Amino acid sequence: MMRRPILLVVLLAAVLLSACTNTPGRSDQVVVTGSTTILPIAEVSAEMFHRLRPDVRVLVSGVGSSAGIESVSTGSSDIGTSSRDLKSEEGGLGLVDTPIAYDAIAVIVNQSNPVESLTKAQIKAIFQGKIRDWSQVGGRGGSIQLVNRDEASGTREAFSKIVMDKEPFDPTAAVLPGTGQVRAVVAQSPGAVGYISYGFVNRSVKAIAVEGVRPSEKTVFSGAYPIQRTLHFFTKGPAAGLARSYIDFVLSDSVQKTIVGEAGFLPVSERSR
Amino acid sequence: MAEHTGAPEPADELRLVTRATYLRELTLKNLFLLCAFVAVLGVLLIFVFVGVRGWPAFTEIGVREFLFGRVWSPSTEQFGILPLIWGTILVMAGALALGTPLAVATAVFLSEIATPRVRSIVRPAVELLAGIPSVIYGFFGLVMLRPIIAEWSGGLGFGAFTAWIILAIMIVPTIATLSQDALESVPDGIREASYAMGATTWQTIYKVLLPAAKIGIFDAVILGMGRAIGETMAVLMVVGNAPVFPKDVFSPLSTLTTQIVMDMPYAVGLHRTALFGMAIILFVVSMSLVAVVRLLSRLGEER
Repeated sequence: MMRRPILLVVLLAAVLLSACTNTPGRSDQVVVTGSTTILPIAEVSAEMFHRLRPDVRVLVSGVGSSAGIESVSTGSSDIGTSSRDLKSEEGGLGLVDTPIAYDAIAVIVNQSNPVESLTKAQIKAIFQGKIRDWSQVGGRGGSIQLVNRDEASGTREAFSKIVMDKEPFDPTAAVLPGTGQVRAVVAQSPGAVGYISYGFVNRSVKAIAVEGVRPSEKTVFSGAYPIQRTLHFFTKGPAAGLARSYIDFVLSDSVQKTIVGEAGFLPVSERSR
Repeated sequence: MAEHTGAPEPADELRLVTRATYLRELTLKNLFLLCAFVAVLGVLLIFVFVGVRGWPAFTEIGVREFLFGRVWSPSTEQFGILPLIWGTILVMAGALALGTPLAVATAVFLSEIATPRVRSIVRPAVELLAGIPSVIYGFFGLVMLRPIIAEWSGGLGFGAFTAWIILAIMIVPTIATLSQDALESVPDGIREASYAMGATTWQTIYKVLLPAAKIGIFDAVILGMGRAIGETMAVLMVVGNAPVFPKDVFSPLSTLTTQIVMDMPYAVGLHRTALFGMAIILFVVSMSLVAVVRLLSRLGEER
């Protein structure tokens, strides 16, 4: 009976030791961390990349743009994905930017909401909490329920810059940690309004026309839709080795012409930079 | 076994057991000591780490601004955690108010009323509640409970009320099992005396047994309180995470733990320090709860 625990301890130690010796195997993997908006592109292209190069694993996780930038600058990941530009205090981190797609941010409401169009000024006032009832913007009476994203979100950062002119959001808004959650909550609540990447808009919610322009592939393409931004891959210094091959793959036609478009984004090649 | 290990001279041991057995005993004894030490070291390291990282929150932000500031807005360098403290207290108090009667009633039922057959079904079911990961509770709250409350209240369904219901269910097993132990440790003689005086079951329960077990039940409630304060994941998914004083229990709010989780991935500089400062407060609160429990059980022993 006394043998058992000792055996267990020895086994445990062996497992721990072997785990230690295995960790430096980073050479055959690329760690990609950051924006939840870019997650679908990064994940699908990671799978395709793995099929082309079975010896390489691309590990993708979505934790928010700021976390991605933090992670690549500390060296925890090889590529940080971000749906916002670098902030001024992040300028000195030595990060190199590769734009991989363009995206529009859609303002979404419940399907039962009769409001079809809002101006940018109205949207700003709504998210500042100055307009609190749908009747003030031509809808049925009823209080407006704001759904906001967390501060790590690149979508929030971009929305704040383009629509809010960096002025603060209404702090009483519900803050949800993911694009999917925002969409699900707006889809279920008649009075709710939120904003998500155009690539995530589906039939469960209604994307509102901004300044009279409804987001669509065409209006995003032409630049007529006013709430647009760039999606980035950041690397610490110029990308090298496997990270370089993965980025090149994402920029190649086989990703840009299929996955990027299917996800509802605009390929970088379509518009001259 | 205890006599063997307590013996001062190894030579004495050798007469009782073989040398191999003695060595094995000694090794295991030290191994267990090491394990216990790891736990103590863990607590100590966490305390020191959180303390060192969080202390500047009190000196740089200022105790007044930090603890009593009414605005939490890291992007504008405002780190007032009063709304978060208020949120924590509100969520915890409501959950206790809902959960305690439920849990104590469950304990009374299990220890005094249920037949052994019923008890053998209900007790494992209650204990199973404790084994469900909190993210499952949160998901249940988000997907099932929130839409119902949203429809009922006309809001989004994120808020203290939703958190109360979820947390109340979560703390039931903690309070119920400990209260049941407290009730069962009341000597049978007291029960028999009560019945012999002509008291009914109900009179026995609330006039005799509950008062007799009150310190144990109070202990259980305080441990449940600790669980309610520390619970993060489930609460995060249903409170709506708005760092403000909510206008009612159906409006989004935030607690200390949920705000730490929401902000930790991207916080830098003073913001990060403030999060560690919040962790210090949580640490102090949970330590004082444990201290109260210890004090109470000592009081119970003295009586």
